[in-house]
Amino acid sequence: MNKLSLLACAVFIVGCGTPATYKDPQGRELVVSLDKVNIQDFATAGSQMLQSMISSPSFSKGAPVLQLGSITNDTADNFDTALLLSKLTVPLVNANRVTLLDNDATANAARATSGSNANVPRAEYVLKGKILEDRSNAGSTRQSSFVFQLTLVEVKRGVAVWTEEKIVTKQGTKNAVGF
Amino acid sequence: MKKFLPLLALGLLTGCTTILETGDKLERGLTPPDAVNYATTKPEGGFSTQLNDNRIGNKVELLAARKSKTDGGYTRVQFDLRNGAYLRQTINVSFEWLAADGTVTESQPNWIVTPLEPGALTTVTATALKAQSAECRLRLISR
Repeated sequence: MNKLSLLACAVFIVGCGTPATYKDPQGRELVVSLDKVNIQDFATAGSQMLQSMISSPSFSKGAPVLQLGSITNDTADNFDTALLLSKLTVPLVNANRVTLLDNDATANAARATSGSNANVPRAEYVLKGKILEDRSNAGSTRQSSFVFQLTLVEVKRGVAVWTEEKIVTKQGTKNAVGF
Repeated sequence: MKKFLPLLALGLLTGCTTILETGDKLERGLTPPDAVNYATTKPEGGFSTQLNDNRIGNKVELLAARKSKTDGGYTRVQFDLRNGAYLRQTINVSFEWLAADGTVTESQPNWIVTPLEPGALTTVTATALKAQSAECRLRLISR
């Protein structure tokens, strides 16, 4: 009987977990991790970078031709830097605020075989950047800072015409859900 | 028993730093989830508010909303917020843009965490990406 009781307790305890549910990726109930960049961190840094970038004189008029440079991930976390870049390029392209060069091999091959004589625009600006991290702790409290750096380089003069840094800092003793 | 008293006192002192946080958590556990509040600029100037969470009204004052145009003709807004409480607060803001006919033209896909020091004035700024975006709707939640 005692064994049965123990088994029942074990089953009860195992059954106490929270079942997986779908969450709004733009909502406020997302997991906040101390040891990695969360999806909402890219969104936060990206949207703030975007606001800063469109306020720069280079983006004040027209749709400048932009080429994406390299974004170096200098953190211990393995992620695709497109997660950050898309937060800038998607709204800019859809609002017709930039002409984004696409160097996709398939698209280039298709253009060559189509016999198109259209001139491919030359890049006016290159967007490059780096993502860094800094970790520290005090007792059981851990702190992770992820530094997002972006620079816009004017191709003609080879000078940086806009640069921005945004830091996302998270502090706590364990991962949590929500803000 | 005497040995336990200093230990108890030490425990209480150590716990002092988390009393406010615990109180806040208790309050939040007893109240419904934070509702979204709005402040929308008007074509004639100024702004209108829609307060759905009265607690934020006691904590944060919306002092002014300024609207201007960039060199390229895009609308830019600034909202001045003031933390009227004696405690540091964190609010989250997000922007939506509306055309002159009221249709939504742009939405910010995330919340920006905005710390407000007691008594401090904080300005949140947004610039529209689309030329047809004429008015801005600031969305606020207290946490």
